[in-house]
Amino acid sequence: MAAVTKDQVKHLGWLARIELSDAELDRYTAQIEGIIKYLDKLDSIPLEEAKPIVAKKKFSNLRADEPAAFEGDALGTKYRKDGFVKGPRMV
Amino acid sequence: MELFRLSAGQAAGGIKSREFSAEEYVCQLLERIKKVEPKVNAFVTVNSKEALEQARALDKKIRDGQDAGALAGVALSIKDNICVKGLRTTCASKMLESYVPPYDATVVRRLKQAGAIIIGKVNLDEFAMGSTTEFSRHGPTRNPWDISRVPGGSSGGSAASVAALECAASLGSDTGGSVRCPASFCSVVGLKPTYGLVSRYGLVSYANSLEQVGPVGRTVEDVAAVMNVIAGIDEHDHTTAAVGARPVYSAGHDGGRRQQQQPQLRVGLVKEFVEGADPAVAKVIHGAMDTLAKQGCRCEETSLGAVKYTLASYYTIAMAEASSNLARYDNVRYGFDDLNPEGYEWNSYFAKARSNFGEEVKRRIIVGSYVLSSGYYGKYYLKAQQVRSILRKELKSLFKHYDVLIGPTMPILPFKIGEKIVEDDPLKMYLVDIDTVVANLAGNPAISVPAGFVAAAAAADGGGLPVGLQMMADEFQEQKMLDAAFLFEGAAKVQRSPEL
Amino acid sequence: METKIGLEIHCQLTGVKSKLFCSCSCDYRGKGANANVCPTCAGLPGTLPLLNRKAVECAGMISLALGCKIPDEIAFYRKNYFYPDLPKNFQLTQYNAYGITSIGVEGKLEYGDGGSKSTRIRRMQLEEDPGRLVYESGSMETSIYTLIDYNRAGVPLVEIVTEPDFSDPKDVRLFLDKVTSIIEHLEVCDTKLEGSVRCDANVSVGGGNRVEIKNVSSFADVEKALRYEITRQKTMASRDIEVKAETRHWDDARKVTKESRTKEEEQDYRYFPEPDIPAVVLGSEFSSSVMQLMPELPDARKDRFVLDYDLSAHVAQVLINNKKLADFFESALKTYHSPKEIANWIVTDLMGFMDEKEERLFEGLKIGPEHVADLAKLVDQNVISRATAKQILGQIVKTGEMPSSVAKKTRASMIDDAGALAQAIDSVFQSEQAAVQDARRNPNAANFLLGKVMQLTRGRADPKAALELIQKKLSEPSS
Repeated sequence: MAAVTKDQVKHLGWLARIELSDAELDRYTAQIEGIIKYLDKLDSIPLEEAKPIVAKKKFSNLRADEPAAFEGDALGTKYRKDGFVKGPRMV
Repeated sequence: MELFRLSAGQAAGGIKSREFSAEEYVCQLLERIKKVEPKVNAFVTVNSKEALEQARALDKKIRDGQDAGALAGVALSIKDNICVKGLRTTCASKMLESYVPPYDATVVRRLKQAGAIIIGKVNLDEFAMGSTTEFSRHGPTRNPWDISRVPGGSSGGSAASVAALECAASLGSDTGGSVRCPASFCSVVGLKPTYGLVSRYGLVSYANSLEQVGPVGRTVEDVAAVMNVIAGIDEHDHTTAAVGARPVYSAGHDGGRRQQQQPQLRVGLVKEFVEGADPAVAKVIHGAMDTLAKQGCRCEETSLGAVKYTLASYYTIAMAEASSNLARYDNVRYGFDDLNPEGYEWNSYFAKARSNFGEEVKRRIIVGSYVLSSGYYGKYYLKAQQVRSILRKELKSLFKHYDVLIGPTMPILPFKIGEKIVEDDPLKMYLVDIDTVVANLAGNPAISVPAGFVAAAAAADGGGLPVGLQMMADEFQEQKMLDAAFLFEGAAKVQRSPEL
Repeated sequence: METKIGLEIHCQLTGVKSKLFCSCSCDYRGKGANANVCPTCAGLPGTLPLLNRKAVECAGMISLALGCKIPDEIAFYRKNYFYPDLPKNFQLTQYNAYGITSIGVEGKLEYGDGGSKSTRIRRMQLEEDPGRLVYESGSMETSIYTLIDYNRAGVPLVEIVTEPDFSDPKDVRLFLDKVTSIIEHLEVCDTKLEGSVRCDANVSVGGGNRVEIKNVSSFADVEKALRYEITRQKTMASRDIEVKAETRHWDDARKVTKESRTKEEEQDYRYFPEPDIPAVVLGSEFSSSVMQLMPELPDARKDRFVLDYDLSAHVAQVLINNKKLADFFESALKTYHSPKEIANWIVTDLMGFMDEKEERLFEGLKIGPEHVADLAKLVDQNVISRATAKQILGQIVKTGEMPSSVAKKTRASMIDDAGALAQAIDSVFQSEQAAVQDARRNPNAANFLLGKVMQLTRGRADPKAALELIQKKLSEPSS
């Protein structure tokens, strides 16, 4: 039953690329710890026999290899240049 | 004639027989929306111009004697996490503030092909994460029965717009009860199909192994009519099942006749659902069971032991999938306009853009990342998936003895807006999903039908607060479930509209 | 010092027409930025992946060709990480940590002379290519924004991971040549297209830390990069400096490996199965049906050339080293069946006229298989001499004319008229009297006289007939 620390939440925020303020870190840590403790319930379930259900699809039902162009602009951002999407710097 | 009071079936019939025009019908609805919206706040975008254009074009088609489609002229609202081409789809989030989809969801395309008119996009909890429609950038939607109370969620806009007579029916989405919960709180009918029956192409993913698009209507017959249009295998969604190309459901007189020909309906009341419910709610449900027994059904109490693990399993899976499904929202390809990427380093840009998610969404993404992180996959996600197979096994054996399993859709009555949020205890909010997540985890169909009202001292109109009866059937047994729902609806005669 | 090298090869399935999960074309090269994109590969909300059947088939072919086992069911996983070239901020790939789900495992490929060497294949998986990042000023460091093109996003890739069975960069080169040959023959990947094959390598020396080398742009450079890196590591070891476990980038311009610019935090990819793609049931018939569809593999083709056409192993090898060459050869045979002759013309003469760079072998060449067949036929039937034929070949590679028409035009038919020949021979006998004396004593020296006759007749004399007459004349008593 691991306690969830502020540092852990900060790291998870980084993994998920979400900027969290100090106030948010304070509030969320306790709440998230509560949620994880609840989810730890799963430890108490006798699950040795249970196999996860896996949906299946036959190979023959996969998509046929026929190219088709999309009519229209699939991208929504207004930050473009010569067709490229303008994104932030890499370094 | 107040055309906005008509059911979908009545509207379609009237337009087809040229009793009134689609244009007249849509006009009245748009007026109704204008009148009622300040109180209800169900709509994010009202599609007035196009809806009228489509109505006029339809009227012409009908005048010319052409086939206009099974739902010709019927106005539907669409939850704002389902893509309608050319109409902004916000998911009630800043992250999609300026997003206009360049394609129609399959369910929307099928509705359009059937002649239905999309009258607008309706409110939801941000990215469908919530049970009250309070987690929305567009402000909370209010329960038409008592506008100081929540309409349920996350498809609150869908249920409220239908209950408030702003449209004949609506499409919502149900990941852990998000169609049934608001249907119950707003006293309308809401159905979650068997997983794989209805295409998810165009539904903005929250938890893709759990969710389905589901119809909301004022009658069981209307819900069946919408199912007939949207259900069926879709080549754009490989998780749709090949259960015959396009299934056809009926409710109403046909169903009644069929019901009489069929053997006695076997009904099981899941005691775990009733035991955890507000006594006032439990009372209504027991009353509902009596009603069914009087209609000739064989009713008895039964048990579904796995219920106690379902919330932990549901939230593990939902949050895990959500953390990954929402990763794409980095504002680079689409999103919102007022954050220019120039000058930012990419990690900072992503983090800053994504700080615009609402609180509940951020929490779920973080918990989701936690349960999937290195070393925890076996402890949480895998176990949660194992719970699903235990649940399915138990349900399968129950469905050998019962045609439908019933219980309250929600364990509580609709509460005041802000009441649960002020407690700042997200976990407490999650507990209200206890009756609904079962059907999402196991994949079987479920429907909420109005069961009655409970007098509440604080209820605004004095008529009481709605209680919904939930029915579940075995997978792909929607027809059996609709038959039971129709039977109950006819006997209980709960359906009415709030004074607004 | 023990050197261990393992490879991670990425190969685009250019033989497949549409992307791995959507119907956009795979043919993205040369198109305008973001002109080859749809809601699905752009990662728009609400879109779902639709797995391409042919891609699975092609990956299955490669799997079998590399001796891998194919499981009854395959599945896809999400590899979750953020990067601007990744539209969904996760990559759809395959993963075996929770059970075998990838398209091939536990294979083995023999290579080198007579298959004397072999390398184990750990696994093979299908995954999607990300988009491309472009920097306006040309440099990552000085650009204030990045230009992103998603045309390539979603193109199917097969990743082939070997065990660290290599110890010599030269062997790596041989192995990669063999892999190239196989995927060309299977027609699943055109290795000549820019960026269609990439190879990362892992190398450790003397049991030290493992270094990953990335950004090697061609198979040829892999050997160079490895040699550099092995030297670097050995040098450090000899000075008792510890080699850091890290990722290094190959700098093609300076021909060195450099520390990676972007300090990547240790990645937690949070793998889980893709809920939108059900597990694909291949069934036991999959392997056999893929086998039937498979074009002939290079080794099998080489054996057939040796067996059916009686070619030497060396000639056969040269032909199959480049599939187009082997195809050219067999195409020529259809016009005129003279395998040894035609093979020889191709291997000895024609290749001299071809572009040195393998990818442009046939570029600028105006002739086709029918030309070579025609040439071989003319020589076989003694219509022209071998020397004349060589001349003609040199001409027609630029003009594209058929050899028969050239031969007719320049009246390059051999002089086999006894009278004309006799005249030439007499002339030579007159001027080369010393040689004639030689030849009377030593019959082999007659060839010198033949040479002179050929010179005199500008190569047009029928060498066989001329030689006969020369020998006859030599045997006559001297006059």
